[in-house]
Amino acid sequence: MAILITEKTRVLVQGITGKEGSRATLQMKNYATRVLAGVTPGKGGQEVHGVPVYNTIKEALENHPGINASFVAVPNFAAYGAIKEAIENKIPLINILTEHIPIQDSAKAIAMAREANVRIVGPSSIGIISPGIGKVGSIGGDDPRGVYSKGNVGVISKSGGMASEISWILTKNGIGQSTVIGIGGDILVGSGFADLMADFEKDEQTKALVLFGEIGGTYEEEAAEFIKSGKFTKKVVSFVSGLFAETLPQGTKLGHAGAIIYGEKGSYKSKINSLKEAGVIIAKTPDEIPGLLEI
Amino acid sequence: MLLYEFEGKKLFKSCGIAVPKSQLLESESQRVKVKPPFVAKAQVLSGNRAKGGGIVFDQTNLFGKQINGEKVERVLVEEAIDYEKEYYLSFSYSTETRGLVMTFGEGGTGVEGKGAKTYAVDFDVLPKELVDTAHKLWEVFTKYDCELAEINPLVIDKAGKAWALDSKVILDDDADFRREEKFPQRNLFGRPPTDRELEARKIDEGDHRGTAGSVYWDLNGDIAVIAAGGGGSIVNMDALLAYGGRPANYTEHSGNPPREKLKKLTKIVLSKPGLKGCWFVGGTANFTDIYETLMGFVDGLKEIKPKYPIVIRRGGPRDKEAFEALAEIGKKEDFNFHIYGRETPMTSTAKIMKELAYGNTNN
Repeated sequence: MAILITEKTRVLVQGITGKEGSRATLQMKNYATRVLAGVTPGKGGQEVHGVPVYNTIKEALENHPGINASFVAVPNFAAYGAIKEAIENKIPLINILTEHIPIQDSAKAIAMAREANVRIVGPSSIGIISPGIGKVGSIGGDDPRGVYSKGNVGVISKSGGMASEISWILTKNGIGQSTVIGIGGDILVGSGFADLMADFEKDEQTKALVLFGEIGGTYEEEAAEFIKSGKFTKKVVSFVSGLFAETLPQGTKLGHAGAIIYGEKGSYKSKINSLKEAGVIIAKTPDEIPGLLEI
Repeated sequence: MLLYEFEGKKLFKSCGIAVPKSQLLESESQRVKVKPPFVAKAQVLSGNRAKGGGIVFDQTNLFGKQINGEKVERVLVEEAIDYEKEYYLSFSYSTETRGLVMTFGEGGTGVEGKGAKTYAVDFDVLPKELVDTAHKLWEVFTKYDCELAEINPLVIDKAGKAWALDSKVILDDDADFRREEKFPQRNLFGRPPTDRELEARKIDEGDHRGTAGSVYWDLNGDIAVIAAGGGGSIVNMDALLAYGGRPANYTEHSGNPPREKLKKLTKIVLSKPGLKGCWFVGGTANFTDIYETLMGFVDGLKEIKPKYPIVIRRGGPRDKEAFEALAEIGKKEDFNFHIYGRETPMTSTAKIMKELAYGNTNN
């Protein structure tokens, strides 16, 4: 059955006339995902790859009431307004590609989404793919077929590139994926590992889970707690990166905004220890993952 | 960006928080205008400044000292404040609550370990004497787009007035576009930014097509690294260190940057003297055009003409085309190429790079 992206998913693209929005729209359509409409203020009436463009989400919904997911690909300064509009219009799933959103805006958007019972995946998310069913976002690029394959392992990754690399390693070893999700590497994300593990637990297609974590923040520790409390019972294999970052001065900025440590919190050791205590199997390299899954 | 104490205090002052009368000394010979009793504080970014000997009273002999590896180049001299109570107060974001938090406690330095507690932002839990300052600190935090705004210690004098004796402010770099106040580059590694660091950061300026070089740090090693992906780059740096490789730099490119950005980045990375190898490494990309990015890399190589081994591992859109072109260019230009595609585990090429650069030894 997969999670988040199913046969019933109907997508709206916010920022559809921009480079990223337009490119992802074509990719999603090519992967048989139903993209019903796009929104760019002031550009209503146009079409992008055959998808009608509206000025507002309200207008898009009036014409396409089936929309149940929004893909946000607007510039960072416009992101908060776009997400707010999607939440106010009660679109239940919002996937945010936009990178470098000010943390103050992310915090406001996440709080608002919680209140409205709307799920955010991202910011800085590569997207969500349920292989063989559909995808939202840039995940898999023009042709996901060589890298992502249908199967029964879920993947949650803080990195878009590593979501792809891990899926490729699985596919190469004959292991398909149920749903692969890039949650983004920001400090604050709409969905952490644990939030999505709740869905994977209920999903019959998913038999095991791979987590790609890295230093910074507490999402890996939260995942460990979630498992310890008995809320996730399937096999979990995890790979955590960031030992290199710990050789640098505190506060050194690396590729992901969230991969930053001040003090003990968010350290490699803290993550590995919590995950091990929860019974998670730790892979030393990404290529070890298929062997450790043993399925 | 982490601010120095004196920079943070400027922001505090602009929102009405009381800070002691002060003077910033930029050289040893500068005359001290603040009358004793005063406190002189080394302006360094590392914590534990007091333990490191960075705070002295009624003298200013801190210039040139090393505080936790950082050379002291500026000293903040402040009138001493007689106080009766001290507190810790900060606003920040928590990955646990996914939102804003207020941290408050009694006591000063090192208070984080001494029972400061984290709350949702609620001014009512604070002692009355702190409420006004808390509102002002909140203004600093939101107005300047901070990731952290901290006063430690926040003291109360005999008259009941609150003073910020220190500041720790981390600005959110992602909000730079809407913040008017600009601050110069930090001496994060205990040294001024290198020319390569400054040059690399210029690559993305005014060109939002992907990123290349926005994050670049010079390190002490001799293997040049051009890594792909915010996440993948760290995975690969971990692997290189694990195999005993010594990286000359950290940098990453992602989001399908155009060919010319990779050319610029390659020239900057390889301009370093004494390199023993170059590692162009990345996972299996979602949408970054491998042909374009690798041809940009080659454009840079053609100008530098390195003789040392060059290990390439990459996968993703147009990778086959890229590898065919690389094989040809490698022969023609006599590059010492070692090319690996997605069939070869990404992290295993760290070992290959290390052995080619240093010989098959354990150096």
